[in-house]
Amino acid sequence: MSLFWSVIRQLAEIEAMATSKKVITRDDWEKKLNDVKIQKEDMNKLVMNFLVTEGYVDAAEKFRKESGTEPDIDLATITDRMAVKKAVQSGNVEDAIEKVNDLNPEILDTNPQLFFHLQQQRLIELIRNGKVEEALEFAQEELAPRGEENQSFLEELERTVALLAFEDVKNSPVGDLLDISQRLKTASEVNAAILTSQSHEKDPKLPSLLRMLLWAQNQLDEKAAYPRITDLFTATLEDPSV
Amino acid sequence: MANDFEGEQQEKDLVGSYFLELWRLKSKRAAVSFAKDVEMVNLDNESEELEEEEEPVPTELDTLNSSGGFSIVSPNKLSVQYPSVNLHGHDVGVVQANCPAPVKRLLYYFEIYVKNAGARGQIAIGFTTEGFLMRRQPGWEANSFGYHGDDGLLYRGQGKGEAFGPTYGTGDTVGAGINYASHEFFFTKNGQVVGTVEKDVKGRLFPTISVHSQYEEVIVNFGKDPFVFDVKVYEATLRKKQLDVIERILIPQTASYGIVRSYLQHYGYEETLNVFDEASQTSVPPITGIHDNGFNEYGTYALKHRKILRKLIKDGQIDDAFGKLRDWYPETVQDDTSAICLMLHCQKFIELVRVGRLEEAVDYGRVHFVKFYTLKEYEDLVMDCAGLMAYEDPKESPLGYLLEDSQRENVADAVNAMILSTNPELKDHTTSCLHSYLERLLRQLTACFLEKRLLNGNQGEAFHLPRLLTTKNN
Repeated sequence: MSLFWSVIRQLAEIEAMATSKKVITRDDWEKKLNDVKIQKEDMNKLVMNFLVTEGYVDAAEKFRKESGTEPDIDLATITDRMAVKKAVQSGNVEDAIEKVNDLNPEILDTNPQLFFHLQQQRLIELIRNGKVEEALEFAQEELAPRGEENQSFLEELERTVALLAFEDVKNSPVGDLLDISQRLKTASEVNAAILTSQSHEKDPKLPSLLRMLLWAQNQLDEKAAYPRITDLFTATLEDPSV
Repeated sequence: MANDFEGEQQEKDLVGSYFLELWRLKSKRAAVSFAKDVEMVNLDNESEELEEEEEPVPTELDTLNSSGGFSIVSPNKLSVQYPSVNLHGHDVGVVQANCPAPVKRLLYYFEIYVKNAGARGQIAIGFTTEGFLMRRQPGWEANSFGYHGDDGLLYRGQGKGEAFGPTYGTGDTVGAGINYASHEFFFTKNGQVVGTVEKDVKGRLFPTISVHSQYEEVIVNFGKDPFVFDVKVYEATLRKKQLDVIERILIPQTASYGIVRSYLQHYGYEETLNVFDEASQTSVPPITGIHDNGFNEYGTYALKHRKILRKLIKDGQIDDAFGKLRDWYPETVQDDTSAICLMLHCQKFIELVRVGRLEEAVDYGRVHFVKFYTLKEYEDLVMDCAGLMAYEDPKESPLGYLLEDSQRENVADAVNAMILSTNPELKDHTTSCLHSYLERLLRQLTACFLEKRLLNGNQGEAFHLPRLLTTKNN
């Protein structure tokens, strides 16, 4: 066969592959869905994992009673973890550090970045409350020595101290540090560290599964047209667009 | 009018029979796991349902289909030798494994140890298809792949190799594997990945090794001994890579909250729901938008009643539950031979056995099981219940699953769904009563994985929620 014809044939094959997507009708897809058996206990575990990891301790306790699902962590530890999280969220960083050390002193010992971020948050709160002198003293005595261990710490420290240099901090280049989101960021970092120290995952499984669903659908899109779910909130099947 | 009523009856039966199906599944699973416990193997699984752990894996070399005369396989069928001076290019000693590599997984891998590279070290490791010519090196023929020791080249489908990795010889351990997610082969030498190559062949592949010069001797390891290459770490890295891609996909921040909330509503876990709502409203930052978004529009229907009935069943108070159901939703238990009535009567019987009131159980069974005996579709389940009485310690019996919490939960779920089905506002009846949003999403997820695998020559991993629940991602 001449080269010309073999190229033509290959092109035709490529085209056929591109258009030969399998089409699965709604009826057929629903049959497939009905063949899938999800065990109730597994769904309960998934919900419990979400409640526990996100720190809904009261809800987890109720759910244990109502569904008979055992949590994969001691519920008492959630209360402590949430107390730490709350302390950071409301700006009581000193209190939070103390609580973390009560829980397990190794958490901060083995996690210099977390410790630095907590101290940084403490500095931010001092500046927020207008305690300029105290802030400077704290920065120089407590934070600067830590910066020597790590270049990125030093940069963050400089950025934080710069808060003092602006009259209108909110509109300054470092204004984001005073934002509530900075507290939340620090809080979730502590939260994750505590969970890890309890050899528990730091993120709940449910959001990952939702991402996995979207990913799996995207993958299947390459090979087939079938009813998809795009609205996670209503889990409605949408007819395939052909 | 009459037709309408019948249609409705049928729909309700769909609901009831769905939960009977779940019960049957549980009964089957319990029987299987009990059988496994007492080491009764030979379970006649249908072959399509074989999942990873049940799929046959290569364990030894195939002595029947090998190039007899040019290779000698040792009695333990795990090593091969080239005995003679080779005469001809076609006198290769090729041996395949006793079965093809399993496919319903992420990875397959095996290793060889070169005990003696012989006269010329013409050793190869790779994969071949079923009808492979047993006188040729893997890689020389179409649909075969081999990493050759004497030149370090990779051969795929022709007599000419391509640059690939180092050569290997006496004392080296070399491995070959398949990555079903990326459709690639990978080869290793002494614990390190040498390289990967596209797997452009469909169909089952046999692990294959070959020897081709005097005194060559190779020992194969199909996983009975620990591998030199850390395949677990390799697999974990691949999974991590895939997860990193998945984690970058954006989902609405409140999606999980909404799905949990609608789950609690759907199943009538009302107390949890209330506490959860309260907590998510006072959290920092508050979870907004999901409470008044109006999704799960039927979620609050009869919530109080559903909660009370769930609790009664959970506590084993079946008479009370039955009574309340009769008072509040008489239409659900009108037909006393319906699936829901069967489940409640059986549960009552089970509760009597649980507390050791066997005589009462016998009397109860005699009165209430009669009407079900004549109905073929219920027979197996009624027999399961009645069978409980045969055991002194029913909890430890093959029927012990009936005494587990999950059995009560299934009855409670059935009652819950029956009540949901009485909602006059309901549009797509069965789906709404039977499946929470969470379940619908998980079913879609599972079906996508299965379909993808199906379109992929049935190769690759399925999605297993239980496995995912027991593994840690971070």
